Amino acid sequence: MLLDKHLLEKIIETALATGGDFAEVYCEETVSGSIQTVGGLVEKANSRKIVGVGVRIAHKLQSVYGFSNSKNPEDLLKLASDLSKSFTDETKTKPTKLGELEVGKKHRVKISPLDVKQSEKVEMLKKAYKAAKAYDEVIQQVMVNLTEWVQTVLIANSEGRYVTEDRTRIRIGINAIAGKDGMMQTGYEAPGTGKGYEYFMEDVNLEDIARDAARIAKTMLFADECPSGVMPVVIDNEFGGVIFHEACGHSLEATSVAKNASVFCGKLNQQVASAIVTAIDDGTIENGWGSANFDDEGYPQQRRVLIENGILKSYMVDKLNSRRMEHQPTGSSRRESYRYSPTSRMSNTFIDNGTSTFDEIIASTEYGLYAAKMGGGSVNPGSGDFNFAVSEGYIIRNGKIAEPVRGASLVGNGAEILWKIDMIANNLDRARGMCGSASGSIPADVGQPTLRVSSITVGGKKGAK
Amino acid sequence: MFIEKLFEKAKKAGISDVQVFLNNMNELSIEVFEGHLEKYEISDSSSMVIRGIYQGKMGTYSTEIMDEELIDTIVSTIIESAKIIDSPDEAVIYAGDSKYEELTDLFNEELKSMDVAKKIEKVKNLDALFHAADPHVSIVETMYAEQTKTVMLQNTKGLKLFNKVNSSMLGGQVIVKSESDQRTGFDLIITNDFNDYHNEEFSKKVVGDAVKTLGAKPIPSGNYEIVFDRDALGVLLSAFSGIFSAEAVQKGMSLLKGKLGSTIGSDLVTLVDDPFMKKSSRSRSFDDEGVATKYKELIKSGVLTTFLHNLNTAKKDNVTSTGNGFGGSVSAVNLGLLPGSHSKDELIKMIKNGIYVTDVQGAHAGANSVSGDFSLQAMGFLVKDGVIGVPVALITVAGNFIKLLQDIEAVGNDVKTGYYGITCPSIKVGPMVVAGL
Repeated sequence: MLLDKHLLEKIIETALATGGDFAEVYCEETVSGSIQTVGGLVEKANSRKIVGVGVRIAHKLQSVYGFSNSKNPEDLLKLASDLSKSFTDETKTKPTKLGELEVGKKHRVKISPLDVKQSEKVEMLKKAYKAAKAYDEVIQQVMVNLTEWVQTVLIANSEGRYVTEDRTRIRIGINAIAGKDGMMQTGYEAPGTGKGYEYFMEDVNLEDIARDAARIAKTMLFADECPSGVMPVVIDNEFGGVIFHEACGHSLEATSVAKNASVFCGKLNQQVASAIVTAIDDGTIENGWGSANFDDEGYPQQRRVLIENGILKSYMVDKLNSRRMEHQPTGSSRRESYRYSPTSRMSNTFIDNGTSTFDEIIASTEYGLYAAKMGGGSVNPGSGDFNFAVSEGYIIRNGKIAEPVRGASLVGNGAEILWKIDMIANNLDRARGMCGSASGSIPADVGQPTLRVSSITVGGKKGAK
Repeated sequence: MFIEKLFEKAKKAGISDVQVFLNNMNELSIEVFEGHLEKYEISDSSSMVIRGIYQGKMGTYSTEIMDEELIDTIVSTIIESAKIIDSPDEAVIYAGDSKYEELTDLFNEELKSMDVAKKIEKVKNLDALFHAADPHVSIVETMYAEQTKTVMLQNTKGLKLFNKVNSSMLGGQVIVKSESDQRTGFDLIITNDFNDYHNEEFSKKVVGDAVKTLGAKPIPSGNYEIVFDRDALGVLLSAFSGIFSAEAVQKGMSLLKGKLGSTIGSDLVTLVDDPFMKKSSRSRSFDDEGVATKYKELIKSGVLTTFLHNLNTAKKDNVTSTGNGFGGSVSAVNLGLLPGSHSKDELIKMIKNGIYVTDVQGAHAGANSVSGDFSLQAMGFLVKDGVIGVPVALITVAGNFIKLLQDIEAVGNDVKTGYYGITCPSIKVGPMVVAGL
């Protein structure tokens, strides 16, 4: 195993020797692999081994962090000792002795990536390629890429936490390019899972997903430019949830709330959204893409109701930021790897089911944009201003989905958009994403039912209608 | 020892040639909040990429530990990964060039050895200046980060190369508040010379620029002439830098396919890749494949003159590598748009009815490097008859990258290297589609 208990205790002791009041050791061993195919041929295959240890010490509101690739006890004790020099306090904190190692038992996988032959993985990717390529003659290029990893973490801290777990992730990205007369458009799908390969054998049909990527590329190739202006927008379920993730989720993370830098500061138990909005961040969903047994401070992951019927109920809070806030930690601390000190992050974040249906929402919209597939987006938590790309869009005319449009983007303000959600359907579903922020790039699910925003700025090349 | 043993065992297992690329990073970062040191991080870490040719195909393994125990795994994994490769690309491990540029100013010992306490003082000083710069300032996060990056390449063809650079950045984010609005300002100075940090002037500019955006609102949708500030242009250029990669072109993923030698932009546009740029932590005399890097013009006075190549793409196009093989793919080192003759004020004065765009957001999703289309969130100021007016936010600016290059009417002389590693001035372009109210 990663580091032995005695050494962990010694590192923690060394870390607290100068007056730090909290110390933590995070050990990681990750085996990852990737295979890239272009035009159905394998171009690159890479395997990677990541091994490292991160040491964090806190004293009141200050923290120091350092990491090393070395497993050598002297190097790690020196790292802890070097870091501890940042603090001098007469009052010393005595670390709690580590007890039995707690092993995370949820989110087990049946077929680990480590037990599947490379040739079998390649075969899967090629099938996906063939399905997408055969979809239509305008499909000129298809890239199918596999990324997978098995991360083992061991976390120990001065409060006696001593936990370990394995985290498996597999994702296959399918990028189809449709072209005609010098024009090119893309379609992208990227199913992923916190299960093992059983997901691709039992839960989803990769070829159908590949055809869907091709369908989007073809649809967008023949689509007109999106008109611009302020209009109602119906955002479909699954990845449509990126809107809540970017527009509101980031501003509910302690990373910005603790510093009073979020538009949602001081709004607990106040109404921040239209009364039909309930939003949840749940890191406990069985084998969820953003789930884990423990957060990266070693505390149990939790289900957090962020907004309930429009009322702000909770932020997402890590241990150190909780010291600045009158708010208990919520098991929300995450990081990409030992190269990052952890901070509060989302896990699987979604808006909960409403009472409308998809058909009702479309039928009651006279004119607007139907965003069937969203691309990514970003937010400035300081102002709350956000943007998203729409990767598959259609005009809604007289309550019916009409012609496809491409190149649309949505811009708005996170605090405002929550009030403008006026219809929510009952078809909640989630989709995979990679979220990049202060503590690196981590897997995070986004999700929602189909919903309507009564008015939002749509940007497109066609100009005002 | 590790490398020699690895080479030996690989050869025995039938791997014809092997190359190791070692990357060592020594990092320091400091964050100050409300006048106090909040976060302090140090690290020293290594990673190694090992590539080996087995039966004509390239296998790859990356590791962060160089245990001799791992060698057998490395060798067998390289063979295993080479076996599944079925693209006809010829795998090459490079014997080297006759000459590599001598780069002298990339590592500054003075910066590396300077007392940490002095660095912390500098950050605290900047933090205090941010707070004092204007009564609207409410929250400030100030940071400093420094890295020393050493790369070493060694292969069984006898090539051994070494490069050491260091760089640091100092800057921060400020939140400014008025009664009815909250806005942010952010900037960093990236250099390897501590003397380049002028806190007084820098803090005034960051805060001043942020305060000016208070009260920013959308404007009516329509067509507006645009001046892209150098920071905003840097984001755009960065989002589209991939289209110059021959790999993207050969795979049919670049809109520049078939355009070599033709005019793709205004004659004011000269875009270069300068791997020898001073004070850039990306500067290198060789790429990750061991090929000597070189200065090149990608677009010369509007004409597309070359793509960027690694060994593989060069072979396919029957040219020589441009020394742009990085991370197993192809990318520019220091992309730069050469400056023109106008000051930024002159560019703004050219606008009759338009927007001076200071910031664009969302390029990772809202810019499609395959089609060239973009629709990005923008901020800036309304300009009427050359005079800067009210601040503007929550608008989108939409267009196509190639059309943008063609529509450049004037190029500024205010070059700066931005956060995304692109060096460019501000530019003035013709009318673009803006969505707002």
